[in-house]
Amino acid sequence: MPIANVVYRHREAGAPLTDAGAYERAGGWAGLKRALAEMQPDEVLYAFHRSGLRGRGGAGFPMGRKASFIPKDSALPAYVVCNADESEPGTFKDREIMEMNPFQLLEGILLAGYAVGAARGYIYIRGEYEHQARVLDAALAQAREGGFLGRGILGSSFDFDITLYRGAGAYICGEETGLLESLEGKRGQPRLKPPFPAVAGLYGAPTLINNVETLTSLPPIVDRGPDWYASMGTEKSTGTKVFSISGHVLRPGNYEIVLHETTLRELVYDHAGGFRPGRDFKAAWVGGSSVNVVGPEALDTPLDYESLAAAGTSLGSAGCIVMDDSGSMVHATLRLAHFYRHESCGKCTPCREGTLWLERILRRIADGEGRMEDLDLIDQVAGRIGGRVLCALADTGILPVVSAIHRFRDEFVAAIEEGGAPRPEPMMEVAAHG
Amino acid sequence: MGDYAPVDLTAAEQVEFELNGRRVSAPPGTMLVDAAHAHGVRVPVFCYEPRLGPPLGACRMCLVEVEGMRGLQTACSTPVQPDMVVRTDSPLAKDGQDGVLELLLANHPLDCPVCDKGGECPLQDHTFEFGPGRTRFIEPKRHFPKPLDLSSLITLDRERCIACFRCVRFSQGVSEDGALVMEDRGAGSEIATFTGDAYEGRFTGNVIDICPVGALTSIPYRFVARPWDVQNAPSVCGHCPVGCNVELTAREGEVRRVTGRPDPNWEVEEGWLCDKGRFAYPGDRAPGRLREPLIRESRDRARVTTLEEAVDAAALVLGRGGRVGVVVGPEATVEEGFIAQELAAGPLGGAPVQRLGIPGEALAALRALPGAQLGDLDGAGLVLVVGGDPPNQQPVVELRVRKARRLGARVACVGARPHALEALGEHRRAVPGGLAAALADLELPEVESAVVLWDEADLAAEPDAAAALARLAAERGMRQLELGADVNGAGLRALGMPARGVLEAAQAGEIDVLLTVHADPTEGPGGAEWGWALGRVRQTVAIATHASPLADGATVLLPAATHREQEGVYVSMAGRAQRLRAAVPGPPGSAPGWELLLAVMHRLGAPPAYRTAAQTFAAAAAARPALAGLSHDALGALGRPVATPAPPSPNGAPAPREPAGTGLPLVVTRMIFGDAASHRSDALAAVRTGAELVLHPAEAARRGLAEGERVRLRSPSGECALALRCDPAHAEGVAYAAAGPPASGVERLLPPDRGPVRVELAAER
Repeated sequence: MPIANVVYRHREAGAPLTDAGAYERAGGWAGLKRALAEMQPDEVLYAFHRSGLRGRGGAGFPMGRKASFIPKDSALPAYVVCNADESEPGTFKDREIMEMNPFQLLEGILLAGYAVGAARGYIYIRGEYEHQARVLDAALAQAREGGFLGRGILGSSFDFDITLYRGAGAYICGEETGLLESLEGKRGQPRLKPPFPAVAGLYGAPTLINNVETLTSLPPIVDRGPDWYASMGTEKSTGTKVFSISGHVLRPGNYEIVLHETTLRELVYDHAGGFRPGRDFKAAWVGGSSVNVVGPEALDTPLDYESLAAAGTSLGSAGCIVMDDSGSMVHATLRLAHFYRHESCGKCTPCREGTLWLERILRRIADGEGRMEDLDLIDQVAGRIGGRVLCALADTGILPVVSAIHRFRDEFVAAIEEGGAPRPEPMMEVAAHG
Repeated sequence: MGDYAPVDLTAAEQVEFELNGRRVSAPPGTMLVDAAHAHGVRVPVFCYEPRLGPPLGACRMCLVEVEGMRGLQTACSTPVQPDMVVRTDSPLAKDGQDGVLELLLANHPLDCPVCDKGGECPLQDHTFEFGPGRTRFIEPKRHFPKPLDLSSLITLDRERCIACFRCVRFSQGVSEDGALVMEDRGAGSEIATFTGDAYEGRFTGNVIDICPVGALTSIPYRFVARPWDVQNAPSVCGHCPVGCNVELTAREGEVRRVTGRPDPNWEVEEGWLCDKGRFAYPGDRAPGRLREPLIRESRDRARVTTLEEAVDAAALVLGRGGRVGVVVGPEATVEEGFIAQELAAGPLGGAPVQRLGIPGEALAALRALPGAQLGDLDGAGLVLVVGGDPPNQQPVVELRVRKARRLGARVACVGARPHALEALGEHRRAVPGGLAAALADLELPEVESAVVLWDEADLAAEPDAAAALARLAAERGMRQLELGADVNGAGLRALGMPARGVLEAAQAGEIDVLLTVHADPTEGPGGAEWGWALGRVRQTVAIATHASPLADGATVLLPAATHREQEGVYVSMAGRAQRLRAAVPGPPGSAPGWELLLAVMHRLGAPPAYRTAAQTFAAAAAARPALAGLSHDALGALGRPVATPAPPSPNGAPAPREPAGTGLPLVVTRMIFGDAASHRSDALAAVRTGAELVLHPAEAARRGLAEGERVRLRSPSGECALALRCDPAHAEGVAYAAAGPPASGVERLLPPDRGPVRVELAAER
């Protein structure tokens, strides 16, 4: 259950590393220096591979494999795009990286760009992260001044620069092709795949898109070696992962842990401080909101990709939302259904109309207008959404709804029979105990 | 509409796969929807529309099951693969289709009884064939105030919209005006214009055709008819020489709608129409429409009569022994032109026949080069546009050139007018008389398959440029496509009808009686000269559809049918002979021009052997080499090219033509919504434009002329007064005039052969 601050280097340093000098003193830039001085791009790419690092944005696709899809012989320049549109409910891990340790992210983008032969990097940051955008902007300026960006980086023949681009507040722009559309100045909507971004991404050019945390993991991998990284965790879940924990816990926040070494119980009770007196664990959305909700039976599950999958949920973006027994599953599910309805881009019919329908049904149940057949209807409507849309928004957005009406069916039945679900107490009550 | 792309099942390379248990094949790369359609299996679609570019995959209507692939696949975006096993009718595929329709209908208002789309609505049809019989959605539906006028022509009903993005993709990717966008997101998505202004342009009406629900409907057609109340006739547009294939919708004896054909002509318009072609039809019942035959008894007294009596009177006037001249206008069909020739050659004893149009002797070498159809622009390596202003004068050409560019063609433009195609590539702006020099200045890439689009009027006015272009095109192996000036100019040329003769004879006092067929020469180029020459003509027989100075003063007036009201053949500028079909009969006091001419021949005791339009065309085909082998039946639904004319014998380099008169050289443009047809149609009232003079601001300043001022233009041929607009996109030292309707007098500034001319400008104070 130990904490291992690999991407949260500033926590080791005990201070924000928002100054290039401070970052260097904390061991920063070592990975980039090593790569440029001693390693061919292919060797760097192989290091990504060997580390076993999986994408930290939610899908968990092996990062090295994704990077290796970038064709070497393309007529168009390749790009690295950093997905900083951190919008998954309950997830705020990237925010701390950008706020406190921005140079490690820049170094990670540089390493990825070097490995795949990219001409330029982009950071697509969600519009609401105004402060973080300022920090990154300042970091970019310092990096340019220090010769870490621009032409002939650190005296090598590697030219690379990074452009910061602020989104305008849409969950769908965290979907990689929706992000690319938005970055191109278009309406943020997912594209038809194939072609995948690795082949035809930004402006139709080969594009590597990775999450902030994924890219921030790269400098230590190159610096300390992929075997060191792969030695943490399990074969399929290597390295460390930041869990953002929020909800009815007494110490919500970010905790970077080694995969598999910590269980959900340890995360909730030891790191996050458990619950208010007299309250007990009821449910958790372990990997952000777009996952199956689990109950106390999952508490002893080790936090890694395969164990959480075996427990019927997924690690996702590790934005762990926890609810104690004061919470209302009906209202929580309605709130999440509302979120997906509100964030649906409207391109695919099943998502556009289906998320609206699911919200309406749940609203009726919460308001005491529910019918018993509505529970089957939710199942069937969700069944007509899942697997029939372009992107993961609705594909996974139905998971918390469907899992809730199965795992916590009693609460929905009670709401239908008793004329609605009582509103839960406001969250300020929890804060008062913290 | 053409929802599915054509599939060539006879292509050499075929991929074999299994479709609903049948072994079938399609060329590699074919999308499953198209392959299935080619094999008689309908996979329903909404957003898929091959003319809008690559598939979008948004509506999810075309879900099918493919063995070995997880879940359901969108057939619109899944190419055929060897030995793939596809089921469009399995329980899972059917659940996919039923599911999407259930979701689409959840918020659809189902106001079909008051919806113009009702009865011809893909959403209705798909629901009936593939969808659920009832809904499980019990919540209140989404509501918007409706309808919302998107423009003076199109209304938007946001409740009915299923967000298929077709209209947005048309605007973004076909007309490339970027005007339409999807606003907001999710269930609140709605169609809007980017600027918030009306959706106006040259091609807006196409979004009505491609909307698969009743969200975008035609304002002129609003609440006019139900599909079961109407008859649809496939025909050809007669408002410019492009020859777009159209479908005319008639109800109760009137044309009430013009749309693209369900099966478009891929060689011509691909199903896209310009707004003039689509919305000019109310002109057929406009106030100036001629409905009653008239016999003029004295200078200021005319008597309404029957058609019978009027034809008798016409025969009497023509057959009295005076010297007759026959003038045929560019809207006359091949049949009308042919009978006019036969009438002149036979009963009228060899009377001269002249078409109104450009003589164009200098164009023979260009016309003899291998010709291209508009469809050949797809896949061309280079599209060279010489002269003209296709977006205004041959509108659908713009869409075909834009498409060619999207498919990879380089586009280059040379000419005197600034126009919308210039932005698609390199361009050189020529001053009048300088086309040959500008052409020589243009560096053209060496590419396979180049097509040159050349403007008939501009190159006829600059024979040196025509000769240079013909040489260049022959050297480079370019195919040529004429940007014609007149609707059926090519058809009348195919008949061997000259563009001069009657005027000269009239000027020499050798014409006593004039017969006009869809023609009023006093309104067009050389109008004043014609007016002076015709002053000596004693009597006139006019076959015409609309009032004009000449028709109003005719001795005998025979009201004729318009191109929407008669059978016949038009030959497009690309040399494609295509059939007109009568959607409705003309007004009771009118008849098709060919019938009137035949009746006159009968009255003159020379009945020809042919009695119908088809027989007339067959006789013309037998008599005229250019039409050899053609017949109405042989033209079929999509028409056939006429024979390419023989190349002329080389006769050295033609000299440039000196413009007549003094002052600034004049460049006249026929604006898309500026002509008589647009001005007659009340539907186009909000978009039509008038005549105007355009000068570079420096040119105007030099002459002491101010924006908005009325300026008198004088050429050796005529004069008129126009409001001045200053625009720095135009060259200095040139006077540009938008022609406007005939009454503006702009075309009368030109000599009878539309040759080059100069104008003197003077403020009208």
